[in-house]
Amino acid sequence: MLDLAPIAMTLAADSPAAVASAPAWVMLIPAMPMIGVVLCTLMSIMGVRSKLPAFVTVACLAVSFLLTVFMFTGHSEGWATAVGWEWLHYSWGDGNGQNFTANFAFAVDGLTILWMLFVTGLATLIALYASEYMATDVGQGYNRFFIAFNLFVFSMACLVMGSNLLMLYLGWEGVGLCSYLLIGYYYKKPEAVAAAKKAFIVNRIGDVGLALGVYLAFVHFGTIEYTELFASEKLQGYLHDAAEGHWSHIPWQASAIPLFLMVGAFGKSAQLPLYVWLPDAMEGPTPVSALIHAATMVTAGVYLIARTYPLFQVSEIALPIVAWVGTLTALLAATIGMAQFDIKRIMAYSTVSQLGYMFAGLGVMTSVGAGFHVLTHAFFKALLFLACGAVMHGFAGQLDLRKLSGLWKVPGWRIVTIGMFVGCLNLAGFPLTAGFFSKDMILAEAFVTPGFALIGWILLFTAGLTAYYTFRVFFRVFVGPVEYHAGDDHHGDDHAHDDSHGDDHDAGHGFHPHAPGWAINFVLATLAVCSIVAAGLYFIGDHGWVAGMIHDSTAHIDPHGDEAGGSHGSAALFGLDPHKAMYYISSVVGIVGIIFAYAFHLHGRKSAGEAPAADAFKAALGPIPRWAENKWYVDELYQFLFRGPLLVLSHIFRYVDMLLVDGLVNLMGWLPYAVGGRLRRGQDGVLQSYAASMAGGLALFLLVILLLVNQSA
Amino acid sequence: MTDKLIYLWPEVTLFITTCLVMVLGLSPQAEVRRLCAWVSAVGLTVAAGLAANGEPDPNALLPNIMPFAKVVIAAVGLLLLMLLAGTVDREYEADIESGKTKFNPLRSNRAEFYSFFLFSLTGLMLCASAESLIWLFLALELTSLPTYIMVIISTRGAKSQEAGVKYFFLGALGAAFFLFGFSLIFGGTGATHFDDIADSIAANGINPILTLGLLISMIGLSFKIAAVPMHFYTADVYQGAASPVSAMLAFVPKTAGFIAIITICAAVGWNYGPNHTSLPEGLRLVLWITAALTMTVGNMLALRQRSVKRILAYSSIAHSGYMLVGVIAGPGPVGGSFTSNGLAAVLFYLLCYGFMNVGTFAVLASLKHADGSEADDIDDIRGLCSTHPLLGWSMVLCALSLLGMPPLLGFVGKLGLFTSAISAGEYAIVIVLGLNSAIAAVYYLRLIVTPYLDKPAEQDVLRVEKVGIITRPMVAVISAASVIGLVLVAQPLIEASSRAGVATRHGDVHAVEQAAALRDDINEPRP
Repeated sequence: MLDLAPIAMTLAADSPAAVASAPAWVMLIPAMPMIGVVLCTLMSIMGVRSKLPAFVTVACLAVSFLLTVFMFTGHSEGWATAVGWEWLHYSWGDGNGQNFTANFAFAVDGLTILWMLFVTGLATLIALYASEYMATDVGQGYNRFFIAFNLFVFSMACLVMGSNLLMLYLGWEGVGLCSYLLIGYYYKKPEAVAAAKKAFIVNRIGDVGLALGVYLAFVHFGTIEYTELFASEKLQGYLHDAAEGHWSHIPWQASAIPLFLMVGAFGKSAQLPLYVWLPDAMEGPTPVSALIHAATMVTAGVYLIARTYPLFQVSEIALPIVAWVGTLTALLAATIGMAQFDIKRIMAYSTVSQLGYMFAGLGVMTSVGAGFHVLTHAFFKALLFLACGAVMHGFAGQLDLRKLSGLWKVPGWRIVTIGMFVGCLNLAGFPLTAGFFSKDMILAEAFVTPGFALIGWILLFTAGLTAYYTFRVFFRVFVGPVEYHAGDDHHGDDHAHDDSHGDDHDAGHGFHPHAPGWAINFVLATLAVCSIVAAGLYFIGDHGWVAGMIHDSTAHIDPHGDEAGGSHGSAALFGLDPHKAMYYISSVVGIVGIIFAYAFHLHGRKSAGEAPAADAFKAALGPIPRWAENKWYVDELYQFLFRGPLLVLSHIFRYVDMLLVDGLVNLMGWLPYAVGGRLRRGQDGVLQSYAASMAGGLALFLLVILLLVNQSA
Repeated sequence: MTDKLIYLWPEVTLFITTCLVMVLGLSPQAEVRRLCAWVSAVGLTVAAGLAANGEPDPNALLPNIMPFAKVVIAAVGLLLLMLLAGTVDREYEADIESGKTKFNPLRSNRAEFYSFFLFSLTGLMLCASAESLIWLFLALELTSLPTYIMVIISTRGAKSQEAGVKYFFLGALGAAFFLFGFSLIFGGTGATHFDDIADSIAANGINPILTLGLLISMIGLSFKIAAVPMHFYTADVYQGAASPVSAMLAFVPKTAGFIAIITICAAVGWNYGPNHTSLPEGLRLVLWITAALTMTVGNMLALRQRSVKRILAYSSIAHSGYMLVGVIAGPGPVGGSFTSNGLAAVLFYLLCYGFMNVGTFAVLASLKHADGSEADDIDDIRGLCSTHPLLGWSMVLCALSLLGMPPLLGFVGKLGLFTSAISAGEYAIVIVLGLNSAIAAVYYLRLIVTPYLDKPAEQDVLRVEKVGIITRPMVAVISAASVIGLVLVAQPLIEASSRAGVATRHGDVHAVEQAAALRDDINEPRP
């Protein structure tokens, strides 16, 4: 197996063991969105038909964000916990695993703060964006949207801030529920309903893993409170064994825990083989795609692994599996993304792919890189989605990149284009952008870590593909000749015609794009600035600001040897330290990808639908692009492997149920019924029969019991 | 006797309130008559406060049961009071208001109704305070006698009269059984005080007369908790009475019966069997068979009912079976926790059952047909979630909780019953309990699916509408909220019930020490 032994892995042994108590107001951070839920529900009951719920939501979330900032500034090292109330405490003995405590409590450390900062910050911005985006639905739908939106932020806060694995599980299920509700927001659209169901069911598979993992952790370690779990002597002993390479000293139960937890993470974060739900989840409103299915919820898997990093380190195979699954997901999703035409779907596959990078980062032991990538990705991917959403909003649901072109030159679309450009640069890993630095950390670490060089090469190749498909979207949709066709979303269409230009048919298709208003533009501009500024975080402190946050948490790993000096003889790339070399190599890869995209999709393109170079290249590749466009037929494979057999099985069970179980139940129900009916006929409501039955029952009972007692005596 | 008085202030308060209400209800002024419910509520609140601050009785067999049981009784009693308010004399008062008739004290039922309700609760609290067989018998009858009349006057129809008469005669028969059992216990031990009975058993062991007395008492008391073989009356009586009174019948006599059963079992002690943790074989067997049969018969009979009230009546029978499992398990090891203490589980479950059961009946009580008749058929709650969302969801939540669905209150309650029986080694009854919980899902799911998934009934059939009494839907909503809310604060409740379930055992060194420690605790001023 891969030899991880040289890498020193210790945790918490050297971090302060004392648990400080956090100020009680940190509980307001999850409470504010909950207040939002209550207020929006009230407004829904009162039948508010205005944008009020949106602004209430923005206000609540903004307060939550401000409090998070205070939490950040006021936080010193180590854990700080705030106990809401003691919820349940069961004990059935004094031994290990015989005391079950579940507190409604929150624990704060660097990881928590990192996550909460971008969750609440982005949620505030996206709620503002949604206030305009969802405006066509003002009324009950609008209220419903913001109820679920608030509930999502509340659940996410519980997931991230909870002080034990049960709180995490609670939040985990909560975000799953909200994701389901919001994907199926357009519940009259069959595709949306199907997508919601798919997301929910695929996530169930992951959640079973998570539940089993939590259970096993409790059984084995006797606690699921983070502060106790990660400081427990048992775990520290295992970590020590692992660091020394004595894998056989660790019982299998302990090494099985991460394998179960991992399944949960793969489900929520859309990794192989459970990624299939995320692309379909784009049926939900775009703000939802941006917040839940790009920036926050899908990073819950990364959070879970980072949070329980010590548990992962006691298994010899867990982190390598995570690394490989992440890498393969990144590659697969990127290849699918290259062949799609729906720009929102391209972004969805790109999300899956980028999540793969984060998992790979965790797998190759750079929790800092993974955390930084989560942060930068949250900003630029939200930006990209919201820009796509603005396009969708303005062009009546049109998302096909063959039907849109040259938006840069359409009046009112400047900010969207600039936002999109910034997002694309980040995603493509263009030099000196935030996405560039965070991706490099992961890539470099993959080359540095012994045994993972192949992962590094695959990820590097994927980075090239990413740059290509990202700029494919940009060059097709935002620059080039001006041409656009409206989508078939008449809802948006009517709205567009409100601008009193209804009689203006000169464009040949009688359609006027509906340029985004102040809220959308403001949010896009803010996010673009954030995405650019995020690059600066890399230069703060020792190894970047994120490194500081991660080192103050359970995801902290002792940097192996001297990271900055690059003293690893075994891990040199072309004779250079990979950390340095990677800047240049990945710059080149990213720029090459962009050049390819330019050559195929902008150079010589005369109309929106046809790009001669790209089409010629596609023809040369034969059927492969079609396979990629059909997502490598993974859905069909699952249909064949799982859904088909399950359907047959369910039919069999149905008949078993109908004939056997129902028969038994009906028989058992019918028997006393028949007996009762007979009795009733005999007594006809007459009191004496009841009395006789009672006396008879008494006699019978006495007889039976006295006989039994005598027999046993 | 006078030293016992300090434990009886809640009862005294209720009794005074009862007398007051009886007089107020006969006043010629309508305004004064309307005070009945308010005065009752005040009395119950004061009683609850007194009970909550009540001291444990270190000399009793169950030193801590009184405060807990009385607080539960008063709390659920308040809920029941809200539900019962406005049940009687509605039309009569309206007639007086409009000047159609004049107030006639002989015709009015208001005073009786409220005061009998409070009498019944007084009896129930006295059961928890009982220290001798005679006291227990009188308390049990004080609990039951008023309920017979309440059934009869709950509606103006003949059905409730028939139900009331049936209930009265069968109740008298049941009382005769356990009175006979009590007298045999006296015959076997020569004592009526539980302390003396326990001492006699510790000194002389168990003789056949005592065994016979215990068996007959248990079977007789199963009338109060509506258990096999004394369950026959349940469905008829619940269906005949008005829904609020049925809700009361499902809680008040049942609680009295369980407290009586626990008290008598505590006098015998869970000192027998291979590990010295179970009841004597005969007593254990009678409870075992009763429990198994009760839950099975109750669930089976509920399966094919159409009347919601009958479903709930059979469900109430089944729940008695569940709770008997906790009695069989007993208080568990000394210093044990909630999960091993069956008595704590029973007491906690009574609380859970009180809320969720009252909730379901409250939903029914909040609905009526256009012709004024009560809603009862399963069709009446069809599509309730869309026609009356609050009521519909209350029904769904309470039924889910009765089913024991995590994370609702019923689940927490049932968990204690399961774990205590497992830790007592009673695996067979746990399996029966598990199977029955699954069977019960069939009919509870009907109570959930019918309001939630089914379409509301068509316009041309008899539609249900809300009754004009605002407190009834409030009770439904409060119960449904408690089913969720109490789970969040389950810990203090679990701790309180664990304390209440501690039984001191005569002849047991640990228990004596524990009782002594408890006494010290009590004597020491609280910090």
